[in-house]
Amino acid sequence: MNAPNRKIKVRVLVFMLIFVGMIGALVVRTGWLQVVDGAYLKKAATQQQTRDKVINSKRGTIYDRNGKELAVSASVEMVTVAPNEIKESESAPLVAQKLADILSMSYDDVYKIVTKKSAYEIVKRKVEKEQTDQIRALKAAKETKKAFGGVSLEEDTKRYYPFGNFASHVIGFTGTDNQGLYGIEKAYDEDLRGTAGRVISAKNAIGVEMPYKYEKKYDSKDGLSVVLTIDETIQHFAEKHLEQAMAETNPAMGASVIVVSPKTGGILAMATKPDFDLNKPFEIIDTGMLAGIESLPAEQQKDARSQALTKLWRNKAVSDTYEPGSVFKILTAAMGLEEGVVKPTDNFVCTGAVKVGGETIHCWKTQGHGAETFKEGFKNSCNPVFMGVGERVGADRFIRYFKNFGLDAKTGFDIIGESQSVFHKPETFREVELATSSFGQSFNVTPLQMVAAISAVVNGGKLYKPHIVKELKDKDGNTVKTIEPTMVRQVISEQTSATMREFLEYVVTDGTGKNAYIKGFRVGGKTGTSEKQPRGNGKYIASFLGIAPADDPELLVLVAIDEPTGYLHQGSQIAAPVARNIIEDSLRYMGAEPQFSAEELATMQATVPEVRGLTVADAKNALTTAGFGIKVVGGGDTVVDQLPKPAASLSKKSNVIVYTEGAQETKVTVPNLVGMNMADVKNTLTSLGLNLEILGSVASDMKTAPAVRQDPAEGTQVLPATTVRVEFTYMDGD
Amino acid sequence: MAKTLVKTRSAGPKQQQKAAAVKGADKTLILIIISLVVFGLVMVFSASAPAASYYEDNAYHYVIRQGIFAVMGFVSMFVLSRFDYHNYGALALAILIGSFLLLFAVYIPGLGIESNGARRWIGYGVFSLQPSEVAKVGIIIYFSYSLSIIKDKVRFFWSGQFRYLVILGLFAIVLMAEPHFSGTVVICATAVIMLLIAGARIRDYALLALPMIPAAVFVIWKEPYRLERVTTFLNPFADPSDAGFQIVQSLYAIGSGGIFGLGLGLSRQKFLYIPEPQNDFIFSIICEELGLVGAIAVLALFAVLIWKGYRISQEAPDLFGSLLAAGITSLIAIQVIINIAVVTSSVPVTGMALPFFSYGGTSLFILLSCMGVLLNVSRQTIKRTGEVA
Repeated sequence: MNAPNRKIKVRVLVFMLIFVGMIGALVVRTGWLQVVDGAYLKKAATQQQTRDKVINSKRGTIYDRNGKELAVSASVEMVTVAPNEIKESESAPLVAQKLADILSMSYDDVYKIVTKKSAYEIVKRKVEKEQTDQIRALKAAKETKKAFGGVSLEEDTKRYYPFGNFASHVIGFTGTDNQGLYGIEKAYDEDLRGTAGRVISAKNAIGVEMPYKYEKKYDSKDGLSVVLTIDETIQHFAEKHLEQAMAETNPAMGASVIVVSPKTGGILAMATKPDFDLNKPFEIIDTGMLAGIESLPAEQQKDARSQALTKLWRNKAVSDTYEPGSVFKILTAAMGLEEGVVKPTDNFVCTGAVKVGGETIHCWKTQGHGAETFKEGFKNSCNPVFMGVGERVGADRFIRYFKNFGLDAKTGFDIIGESQSVFHKPETFREVELATSSFGQSFNVTPLQMVAAISAVVNGGKLYKPHIVKELKDKDGNTVKTIEPTMVRQVISEQTSATMREFLEYVVTDGTGKNAYIKGFRVGGKTGTSEKQPRGNGKYIASFLGIAPADDPELLVLVAIDEPTGYLHQGSQIAAPVARNIIEDSLRYMGAEPQFSAEELATMQATVPEVRGLTVADAKNALTTAGFGIKVVGGGDTVVDQLPKPAASLSKKSNVIVYTEGAQETKVTVPNLVGMNMADVKNTLTSLGLNLEILGSVASDMKTAPAVRQDPAEGTQVLPATTVRVEFTYMDGD
Repeated sequence: MAKTLVKTRSAGPKQQQKAAAVKGADKTLILIIISLVVFGLVMVFSASAPAASYYEDNAYHYVIRQGIFAVMGFVSMFVLSRFDYHNYGALALAILIGSFLLLFAVYIPGLGIESNGARRWIGYGVFSLQPSEVAKVGIIIYFSYSLSIIKDKVRFFWSGQFRYLVILGLFAIVLMAEPHFSGTVVICATAVIMLLIAGARIRDYALLALPMIPAAVFVIWKEPYRLERVTTFLNPFADPSDAGFQIVQSLYAIGSGGIFGLGLGLSRQKFLYIPEPQNDFIFSIICEELGLVGAIAVLALFAVLIWKGYRISQEAPDLFGSLLAAGITSLIAIQVIINIAVVTSSVPVTGMALPFFSYGGTSLFILLSCMGVLLNVSRQTIKRTGEVA
């Protein structure tokens, strides 16, 4: 028998025990790895198996008060790579070359990015679909699938401003990471931005997604939309008329306008010129500015360009401080009336200069206004009257009102960049300082502070915090937060306020503000011209504050033109017409019905009746009835033609020309009228058979006002009896 | 003895009584083998699917091939389980020489396949084979037969086991030239275990082992990649992106599994993190998908297989059968233990397939054929009183 002996069996048993024992040891080893080291190993494994993708939130829209889109986010994509998944020797050159071609980048730059020692790099942001589709094709194609496994496309957004250079300083713009850099975009960045989300998904070793439902998603929260108090239409009027003023007065330091609702402090329009295109905030669009930079030596251009941009981006209405000049007299008057130290009927005498604390301070009208009541002093913007009122108010009360009107501190406006006003310290606020401060000199405030303070004066005495954001909405249009008007304090009484509204209207109807007069509407206002420090250099800030309707103001407009370089520099001359135009357009847009006075009605337009076919005598009767004069051309009895044609509008008292048989119509050349006074203009046009429409105030003392604008322009060939529209500017004022 | 047993089926009453002592093939072992193969196929499919769909565009690429070889392997197993192992005796030397010569086939241009600087494979078309797999079988058959003839003489070094060590040495030299370190280790270890079971004195091996230590150190030192594997084993996380990559990925997979695993088919590490997860590192995927529970199941199946194999060795009717069973069982045990020690980072990395699980058709076929031989031995076992085990 050859069967295995006992010794062999023992040895077999020994090896059996050894191997089974080793297997037991390996069970322990495996168990150790899975249970004891498991948590650590699993975490490390998960880290390499997952991709953490950031899902950018969609930036909220900026709307005007009526829901017009002023800033929107468009969906684009971002190209990213996971360099650790791109094999440097094999795939990197191919990936770099293709991406460089598609994204118009340099090969070297892309190569550097895709070979970085990192797990995540952004190649390019804000890439349009057109380009990303090409990358998507490469990721899908069999030959390039592997190499492009580490290339990803992620959602990105691009900010787009439909109106370009419109409310630029208010809306502001964003940077490359869609972060708000300026204006509302910056001030409300947190709300607009939303919260970025994350997707953690499984990927295999070459970066391709695994087929599992192994995905954790933290939703991104889209940003809130900001609804401004700005009315796009009123903003448009403001910008249009401010731009016209820019062209005519060519101010060295630009110009700004604020339109506010005085009853709430909500800003309806806010513009600064020159401005910039929000879609290209780093480009200078002002041709004059650009020409100036390009004329410099090349090495200075870069600095000049960045300085110019800084200047362009400055929201003058909020960030500039200025001496408000005579516009401030509104506040001095309100203090005096509120404190009862002066009544509208109090008598003053202006001799053209007053001695205060040993210094002689002049009125802007150096020959003096003579005897006048307080109310007349106000409409004349007479400095000595206000020095007197200021003296009666006294330094302490003056400072108190200055503070109560909110002029000593920033208003807390939504848009950041508000400047701090500069005023005298109480211990240095003596006679002279009080006197000059009374007519708005020797201290600096921002235009925004001025509109807030004067809103309080005209709205019944309530100081409101100016604001430009009405509400915040979520992406579905639900209101998340409403910004209610914030009343800061009651500064003056309703009664004083009513008196002030009368005062302001009086300025426009009878005083220095006649250039802001609008037929059919009650407009109030105050002119201001301050000479910039150091004085004597002929540098002024011309400003005008207008309110409408004067008895119950819905609009308050402050126009400031900084260093006008044209022939005219007074607020009454150049700022008041801008305010008038904005107010007139806005009132009509807001649906206000004009109500004409008797004098206005007398110069109103009427419809020309049909007189053709009538006898000359009948035609004369018909025209007279309609309020027109008649001028007959030709010797016949029957009217065969007429100018203007029937149904045309024509100012009353204008002449209608009727032609009898055989008479010839001959064209007339429009002469230059600019610079003539009203009487000369009337005579000139009448002699040519042309009709006149007067724009602006028809107050009696407008007779000496020179014509500043005419339409049609000089040299235009027109038919007889054509209406020439002429604007006269009241020159007497500050 | 061998002849009488072969003739049992047509024997008279006396022989029939003896035949009653002859059992059928070991049922438990068959069940274990089928379990291992089926489990193995499932895991090959699960582990290979991502790479197969990625590189071959067909998730079933590997499992279909493995399945075909498994079927062929079972056929072979069935046939060989009914083919009396004593018939190998006469062929033993021829098989040994043939398997030795086959080792040189890797150098035949067009037949030998070189990969990663090693020539371990021969192949043509879809068929490929590691001659070392055949060499293992050749050594086991020849050693079993030859040792069963010299019997106790194995105790003597020069007159007994020396010639076996020479044969082993020749195989080892050829294998190391490929180079095929892990194959050499498996063959040498299997052969030495057989020598020891047959009666070789442990003292001799202790003396032999002494000069082997500096030799082993030299071999490791000479080839930088082996040294790297050793140092990597000591701290695989030092450079997880390079040398330690495989082992770190394997540990991530094992660790991710926890006690119950991520679920069958739900491995994440098989997604190209572990290179060729259906091969040497398939155990890591089992751990990841089925957790400690699955790992214990696999190891338990192997433990039972080893236990059964050695039991068959103990109960074999003769020394030839006993050594054949012990050799086959040891071969499997050594490979299982090295493979799992490698993937659990318990020893330095060396290429070692996990029997029944790792993808490799010819290997599975040879393995199942070996199981057929083992089953044939089990069919001829005799129960006697005074069992050792």
